[in-house]
This record gives sequence, structure tokens and C-alpha cells, in this order.
Amino acid sequence: MRLLSTAAWLGMSLLATAAGAQTAAPPAGRLLASNCFQCHGTNGAGPGFDSIAGKSVDEIYKELREMRSENPGNDIMKAHARGYTDEQLRQISTYLSQQRSSSSSSD
Amino acid sequence: MKDDNLDNAQLIRRRLLQAAGLGSLAAMLPVLGCGGGSTADDGGVSFAQGRSSPTTSTTTTLLQTGLSGRVVVVGGGMAGAAVAKYLRLWGGSGVSVTLVERSPSYTSNIMSNLVLTGQRTLGSLQYKYDTLASRYGVKRLQGEVVAIDPVGRKVTLASGGTLAYDRLVLAPGVEFIYEQGVGIPGLESAAAQARVLHAWQAGPQTTALRNQITAMPSGGVFVLTIPAKPYRCPPGPYERACLVADWLKKNRPGSKVIILDANPGITAEVHSFTDAFMNVHAGVTEYHAKVTINGIDTSTMTVDSSVGRIKANVINAIPPHRAGRVVTAAGLTDPAGRWASVNQLSYESKVAAGIHVIGDSAGTAQPKAGHIGNQLGKVCADAIVRAFGGLPPDAAPVTNSACYSPITMETASWLTAVFAYDPGTQAMVAVADSFREAAARDGGNFSNMSKWFNALMSETFS
Repeated sequence: MRLLSTAAWLGMSLLATAAGAQTAAPPAGRLLASNCFQCHGTNGAGPGFDSIAGKSVDEIYKELREMRSENPGNDIMKAHARGYTDEQLRQISTYLSQQRSSSSSSD
Repeated sequence: MKDDNLDNAQLIRRRLLQAAGLGSLAAMLPVLGCGGGSTADDGGVSFAQGRSSPTTSTTTTLLQTGLSGRVVVVGGGMAGAAVAKYLRLWGGSGVSVTLVERSPSYTSNIMSNLVLTGQRTLGSLQYKYDTLASRYGVKRLQGEVVAIDPVGRKVTLASGGTLAYDRLVLAPGVEFIYEQGVGIPGLESAAAQARVLHAWQAGPQTTALRNQITAMPSGGVFVLTIPAKPYRCPPGPYERACLVADWLKKNRPGSKVIILDANPGITAEVHSFTDAFMNVHAGVTEYHAKVTINGIDTSTMTVDSSVGRIKANVINAIPPHRAGRVVTAAGLTDPAGRWASVNQLSYESKVAAGIHVIGDSAGTAQPKAGHIGNQLGKVCADAIVRAFGGLPPDAAPVTNSACYSPITMETASWLTAVFAYDPGTQAMVAVADSFREAAARDGGNFSNMSKWFNALMSETFS
């Protein structure tokens, strides 16, 4: 019974992979960038602290790198930025740059 | 009987200094003591009034990913709500999600200490599931899962019905331990538990504890007991001590807050809470570490502990925790029987294929708190969506914890950490340089706390 359902499920998955090959793999950086969403809203588009969606990759990346290099003091974001490598910050910036800046997520 | 109120200032100072000295060491440890935690009530509490989710319920046009699968999510707390939302948002319209939760709404543990000081109402902390249903098409089922068939892949509900699944996600939060031999001696009976409250699951007990505090006389004694970690952080034990101390200072002069901590020292925000107990609330708070509670006598309201017998007006005893009942009943816990053993890439159980455990019930070094519970929901949703597409989970997941903690009724501090997957230990570990607390408490942090809370709840429930 279980073998049957597993086989059926695997078959379904393979079909799904074949049918939607371009969507089976999630967009690069999406899961990583979702760490921003708790404070900046789903896809970075608010509501919350500064909206971070839809800016250019370079703008977001530069800002994150600057934050990471400064003494955090009382700024939680400067402490948070220290958790990521250059490569991770680049991936986050790229994903966020592709999101709509509107506060509506109805797209 | 002689009143043996402790005034053991020397001992407290020495321990606080020890705790402060441990600060740099603590900063390297992967365990955030503020044991965090999300998720749903395991106590069957229901609330008459819940407010609607904070935004309008515009329907989101879901992706057509070509993927399909059936997911049942048990528990509508921070982790459960987030995984349900992101399974639909990232999995698309072919992934059906049914959210089973016994309460009509979720009451946030985060911010619930402000109910004790009268600064927030319980109603302002309640969130319904309407928007998850209308915007993302999450199927809402108010009920309770009583049995899991991991082979046939279905769950049985208390109502008698069954739900078939391809993947099951359990996010039941924590269960409090009161049994003899494991829980706090003296609190085994329902009557004792009604007198000595935990108020650790926001709800009726929060209001009841507020009433006990306001009934205190000037010069009264409030005792807070803290269990050994890991425990769910929110509402936050040290934060609670601070807020109660501040309220008593202003409203019941001469009162004391005595903190009896089972841990070797302050487990979170060592700098901020050491300052709070030694300076900000000096003369009100008395902090004791490494305390064993021998027993609580609810008839005399006396705590018998390793630092002496203390007679109190109010005793607020936080019991030890373990994974929610649906997890322990399914036999998904580690050998100690406390937390679920999971693959930390996907949160799939190491015991039962196809069953994932997220939020407070998962046995990881990540704090048991709503902010990171939300992120565990997203990591789990991503892994399930990938699995439906025949792909393995992301090999390098990252999560983050953030929380603001009131130190007084007007100021707050914060704590944050990023966690990354370590392939060597196959576990999430804190990125040391990101594990930091605020330099100083202030009013700016207090107002940012509300901004953070509103953003987090909106992201999770709408």
C-alpha cells in the first residue's frame, strides 16, 4: 500500500518536474532572502521597517555591506548583517531587487 | 511561621558578576537561552474574541508551478501559520494545505508581558486565520488531531474524520510538564496549578496573573521561578521580572521580585538583564542562579528552594516544557522524550518519513521563539515544495532570531542571531559574529519593538 502510493507520488513528482522544469527549482536566493520578511514584510515589500524590495542589486548590496562593517551599537540591523557572507548578501540583494516594491502582495 | 524572605544581596551580586563574566563565552555558544518559541497552544484554551488579521484580504494569484501534493499542518502558531502560507505562496495552487488548529485564533506570547502591566489588552494580541484562507487558499479546520498513521499517511481528528496527506507538518508548540518526579514538586494538582500560575501560554492565565499582581499590597513579594533551558522564550522570563518590578515600583512601593533561576546564570541578554537587576531595578529585583525548587506549598504560598524558604504574595512558576502532545504521542521525540529529532535541512522527522516537526517542538539549538519559528516554517515549506518537484532540500539553510525585550515600561533592549547549517554536525549553529544584544536599553528600542511585532505578525498571519 505504502509502496504503491510512494511510487505514484514519485511518478507525479517526475511528471511535475518534466511539465514545469523551469519552476521546479525555486528562484535562487528566495529562501535566504526570506529571512528579511519578518521585519520588512513578505518579499520585502512591507508592512514593517524600511521597504527593501525593488531597489537595484548594487544599492541593496552596498547598504548591507556597509551595515555589516559598522559597530552595531543599538542598531539591530547592523548586528544582523554580520550573519551573512558576501556571497549570501549578493544573493539576497539579487532576489530582493526582483520583487515589486508595492506593499501589496496581490501580484 | 517565620517569614524567611531572602535578602541575600552578596550571593546575588556574586552570581550576577559570574553571569556578566560569562558574557563573552555565552556569545560563542550556539544556544540562545531565551528559548524562544512560536506556536500554538497545547492546552486547549479557546478565546471568545479574536481580532481579524491586520490587513485586508486581497486574494493572491498563486503560482502555477505544475507541482501538486497534499499537506496537513497541525498547529496554527507562528511556525504553523508561516508554513501554511508559504506552502501555498511557493508551492502554488496545486499544493493543497489544510491547517488544523483547535483554537479559533492565535494569542501571541510575544508582548504578552505587557498585559501584566496593563499596557496591552489580550485582545490586541489575537490573530485569526481568515486572511490565510482568503488570500492564500489555506483550508482552515478547527479541530484536533488524535492519531497519526505514518504508513497510511493520514491523521484522525477528534471529530472522527480523517485527512490524507503526502506530507504532514506538526507545529503544536510546547506542553508544560507537571507530573510528579519531573515537574515542580507541589504543583501536581489542578488546584495547585490554579493558585500558582505559569501565564506562559498567553490567554486566561495572563489575565489571571495580572489580577494577582494588582491584588498585591505595598511591600509584597512576587516570586518567579525559571526552568532549566531549553524553554520557550516568549513571553520572556527576565523581561517579565523587569516589567513586574517596574510596575510594582510605581504602584506597590516597597515590593520585591525574587527570581529563582534553575540555569547557571542569565541565559539571554546577559548585559541588559544584569544591568536591569543590579542597577535599573536595584532594591526591587533579587536574582538567584542555579536554584533547585524543592517544593511549593500553595496553602502557605511558600517556596522551598536551595536558597531558602520564601513566603510570597504571588508565585509565578514556569514549569519545564517538552514537545507538544501530538509529537510525543507519535513517538517522534529524542531518547530523553523531550524534543523531536529532525533533519535540520527539512525538519523531516528522523523517525517517521513524510512527517515534519517545526517550531518549539523541534529539537535544535535554535531558540524556541516566534520570529525564528516563522523562519523554520519557511525552510520547511521550501523543502516540501522541492520534494514535490523531486528535488532535495536546500543544502545551506539560514535562519534568524530577533527579539526586543522591555527592561522597563518605557525602554527595551534587543537580541539577535543568525543560524547557518553546519554540514559537519548536521545542525543549525549560530554565526558567532551575529549573536549580539543591544548596547543599551532605550525608548527607541521600545517603539521599534511594536514595529517589529506588527511586521512579524502581519508577515505570519496575512
